[in-house]
Amino acid sequence: MPSNALSDIGGDTAISFDGVSKHYSLALQKEASDVKSMILHLPRFLSNARRPFVALDQINLRVRRGESVGIIGPNGSGKSTTLRIMSGITPPTSGKVTINGRVSALLELGSGFHPRITGRENALLNAVLLGLTLKEAHEVLPDIIAFSELGEFIDQPMRTYSSGMFFRLGFSVSVHVQPEILLIDEVLAVGDAQFQDKCMEHIHGLRRKGVTLGLVTHDMLSLPKFCDRGILIEHGHITDEGSPQQIVHNYLARVEALLALRVEDQLELKVAQAVPS
Amino acid sequence: MVIHRQARRSWDLLYLLTLRELKLRYEDTFFGFLWSLIRPLLQGAVLFVVLRKFIRIEVEDYHLVLLAGLFPWTWFQTSLLLAVGAFAGNGGLIKKVYFPRFVLPLATVLNNGVQYALSIPVLVILLLFSGYTPNWTWLIGIPYLLIVEAVLIMGIVLFIASLDVYFRDLEHLTDVFVGLIWFYLTPVIYPLSIVPAKYHDWVLLNPMASLIEGWRQLFLHNQIPGADMWPALVFAVAIAVIGAFSFSKMQGGFADAL
Repeated sequence: MPSNALSDIGGDTAISFDGVSKHYSLALQKEASDVKSMILHLPRFLSNARRPFVALDQINLRVRRGESVGIIGPNGSGKSTTLRIMSGITPPTSGKVTINGRVSALLELGSGFHPRITGRENALLNAVLLGLTLKEAHEVLPDIIAFSELGEFIDQPMRTYSSGMFFRLGFSVSVHVQPEILLIDEVLAVGDAQFQDKCMEHIHGLRRKGVTLGLVTHDMLSLPKFCDRGILIEHGHITDEGSPQQIVHNYLARVEALLALRVEDQLELKVAQAVPS
Repeated sequence: MVIHRQARRSWDLLYLLTLRELKLRYEDTFFGFLWSLIRPLLQGAVLFVVLRKFIRIEVEDYHLVLLAGLFPWTWFQTSLLLAVGAFAGNGGLIKKVYFPRFVLPLATVLNNGVQYALSIPVLVILLLFSGYTPNWTWLIGIPYLLIVEAVLIMGIVLFIASLDVYFRDLEHLTDVFVGLIWFYLTPVIYPLSIVPAKYHDWVLLNPMASLIEGWRQLFLHNQIPGADMWPALVFAVAIAVIGAFSFSKMQGGFADAL
């Protein structure tokens, strides 16, 4: 299936990236940003030395409505940047992004929860923050509370919550805001095994309802479980794409080869040290 | 309907955040809401003693003139100081959730506006004691001036809070400029009438001067401010446009800059 068929952004496309790049500029000298160091390092300050960092380089990507795509790759390869661009949190430096549908992004559970107000008040505010109107939020609030299994704790200030309770409420709000596109970044491991099962089941339920899913994960087992397609991102490029099993297999094989290479290097080094020339 | 939905949500968020700030401010305090009245009243009392009794400023019903200016000024100053860091101080949220971010500073303005509105009854009681009686003009004058001041403050905070993401010195600049310079150049602790006539034109160029004088005109003379208010009106519209424009230009970079 062509992943860069961009001319046909029609009814069946949920997300499309057309030559999308994201650059960050990293200051070479962090200190050169106040008056004192500006005077001390005037030549450097004037040259304005900045190193561009390419987080994503000319990415083409198309996700169909109802499709579930898993993104894997090493740390710092651009996976999370991709999700952040999809969710609208940050715009691309260049290229065209098209999103068809209401997005909810679980980049961090419980963002915006305030410790001094109750779980109920936080859940309501969070639901509106994540995409509902107040009326809709009131309607789904009972479901959110029931799903979180917080019982009477829901009316306690959130500072009294354990981290498990905190995340349970965060997850519960995030999956009840009725997204058409759900983006998840490494937040599936929530609560105890039983609650995790429930979360997984809920996500499967959303998929059956036709919700488009974008998943960033390091968990190679959950990729084939949730996704129709796997994408491998390395150094800001899509380097592999295909069935989830295939992608995970290829990726693990490469990681293994890399590790083996490293072990070999070390062995050679040791041999070289052991044998005086 | 997407645009309508977004507008609806922004309004709901503004409402919920304002409510949360109001609640948080008084949560776990003994005096609770009374703090909103205690602070400006104490400040007014001290200023009255110092300026009326020690320095002997010659103004009739000085305590009323003072509070009629100090209350609306407090809304302005507190909003600016608290809202300038509204984006810079909420990096965690801005980097993780996409939502209409302009609600963050505007909720602070609304929250302080509610505080101000609740302090008006105190002023009414003091006015009644001194033989002033509010009349129907207040029904038009209060909403009118509330809207002008709200638009003016919201424009300023959208502008400075957006810039503050890239230039944190603005928090200190705002503190110095508003608290130490703007405050004294605005007829807050003195009425415009005490300023020598040759300076009037200059003083009135300050939009806050015409606004504060407008509030006094309403509270003390039951008059709806008219043409004298033009600097505040022009400035409010201009800064609202500038604020909205600069916010929409800068907000894309917030998540990367924080």
